[in-house]
Amino acid sequence: MGNLTLEKLQDWSKQGHRTAFGEAMVLLGQDNSNVYVVTADTTPTARLTNFLKTFPDRLFDVGIAEQNLIDFSAGLAKEGLMPFAVTLAAFAPMRCAEQMRSAIGYMNLNAKVVGIEAGVRFGPLGNTHFAMDDLAVARALPNFTVLSPSDPHQIYKALFAAAELDGPVYIRLTGAPGFPILYPDDFEFKIGQAIEYRSGTDVAIIATGAVLAQAIGAADLLQEKGLSVRVIDMHTIKPLDKAILDSVFAENRLVVTVEEHSAIGGLGSAVAEYKAGFAQAPRQLMVNLGDRFQKVGSYEFQLQENGLTEPAIARLVEENLA
Amino acid sequence: MNTRTSIEKIREKAAAMRRDSIEMGYVAGSHGAHFGPALSSIEIVASLYFGVMNHNPQDPCMRERDRFVMSKGHACLSYYAALVEAGYLSREQMYTFKGDNSILPGHPSCHVEFGLEVATGSLGNGFAIACGMAMAAKIKNETHNVYCVLGDGECDEGLIWEAAMNAVKNKLDNLIAIVDRNSFQLAGKTTEIMDLDLAKIWQAFGWEVVIVEDGNDVASLLDALQAMQQSGSGKPHLIIAQTVKGKGISFMENNLGWHAAPINREQYEQAQSDLELV
Ligand SMILES: Cc1ncc(C[n+]2csc(CCOP(=O)(O)OP(=O)(O)O)c2C)c(N)n1
Repeated sequence: MGNLTLEKLQDWSKQGHRTAFGEAMVLLGQDNSNVYVVTADTTPTARLTNFLKTFPDRLFDVGIAEQNLIDFSAGLAKEGLMPFAVTLAAFAPMRCAEQMRSAIGYMNLNAKVVGIEAGVRFGPLGNTHFAMDDLAVARALPNFTVLSPSDPHQIYKALFAAAELDGPVYIRLTGAPGFPILYPDDFEFKIGQAIEYRSGTDVAIIATGAVLAQAIGAADLLQEKGLSVRVIDMHTIKPLDKAILDSVFAENRLVVTVEEHSAIGGLGSAVAEYKAGFAQAPRQLMVNLGDRFQKVGSYEFQLQENGLTEPAIARLVEENLA
Repeated sequence: MNTRTSIEKIREKAAAMRRDSIEMGYVAGSHGAHFGPALSSIEIVASLYFGVMNHNPQDPCMRERDRFVMSKGHACLSYYAALVEAGYLSREQMYTFKGDNSILPGHPSCHVEFGLEVATGSLGNGFAIACGMAMAAKIKNETHNVYCVLGDGECDEGLIWEAAMNAVKNKLDNLIAIVDRNSFQLAGKTTEIMDLDLAKIWQAFGWEVVIVEDGNDVASLLDALQAMQQSGSGKPHLIIAQTVKGKGISFMENNLGWHAAPINREQYEQAQSDLELV
């Protein structure tokens, strides 16, 4: 685990994904002197104050200007620096999708875009602050790799892996304060290679992001009832791990995708698009945020409204496995 | 026109709006609230709703109403408080702020029947929408004005300047925008994040610009707003209201930590006693 300790992970888990991100960026900055950070009046929001202190010459704040955030980063990348452009996932990719496509994507630049607080964790703030569409947008941009890590440890790994990859990456971050450590020990993280978190033959639950924890909890409930549940951590949305999906379609009776994202264009869509080429494949159920603006309310309320809880996922599987 | 009593009445409304804002922020509990951004804008919003705008809480959708757009949507508390004090929203509704199923999230949604004109929160957009609304009034030969409050940090957005140019091109002199110049944005002082000479820039873009030295003073705001209403310059109007972020609550004033934060019981009580002194 190098300079990453279990104490650090525990602290990141307690503070939430933003702290995990901001602190991991300091470690990445120490590891790779070509890493730069660009923010849009979001330095404290993304917990990058420590990065700024540690590397005062390697963080640029462009002001509240998301299009410029991306094109400025593209310019840095064009000349050989490796920028991480960071703002709320509500605004990047959506507010600057065209810049991500025409600058970073089209020129295949080595720039990374990080969307913090993806999904509906900002439930009380209203729909302008939800990112239900970021995977759909980022997936549609050629050349982009799309990552969606599930726990504090994987956030760290994903950032280092993104820095190793020479090309455009969008990193979607989720995980409220208290999001659990799902990988306490060192583990292998390879872009494009999903992690079989648990093996099982009846149903395969494929999840992405911090709601993997809910998928695991649902699997526990189902196992108590004697079902054999496979759990897959699909941390890379693009390129999709087709090999693991081949085995799921061959071995499991039911597929359930779980994501904190719109019904359109995210993990469920990606899996369904691939599955469309199979003459015979199991049925797929999709747990997601639907295709609607959300009501106002706490994060717990949002998850409940959308069936993104352990009992709701377990119930859905039970009802459909019979 | 601005008699002592009318100014005094608006000041009382402003004081009530400050209390409402703190109340709402307190019921939001651990969700917190954008106190600083709301408190700097209280007098601006109070002067509009209780001194300048033609509107009718009994008929919120009245065609000839002046339109209000809170472009810096995170400052919704001052907007909601004005709607409560004007009678668009009930006190019961007020206390649902940020709650499950509430119509009052941390950034305004669109419910014209409750005086909630435009959904904002993604900075830059409210102002550009306000320009479109002002254009529509021109096309339909309607005489109402469009009033829009924006943040000084919000002026970093390129969209603001795209819209500013378009407003001049279309001679939107029925548009009065007020920049809540509290000299802070999210990550720091505006001088540190993006130092803009706003008066010069807006003027260069072709707007008629007035600076209000004390943007938390109702009488000065009314003077500026009325001057703009009567100007006849054919240009869109911009007031730069120099305010204090967190105005009125001792520990929040000019304190970046109160851009957005939860308020605890002790702080809530301190805020209440601060407000009694005003
Ligand atoms: C498009 C967009 N980018 C980023 C944000 C996050 N954000 C919320 S408030 C804020 C600072 C606003 O500063 P300013 O306009 O000066 O208003 P103030 O809070 O100082 O009143 C930022 C960056 C946002 N709401 N919208």
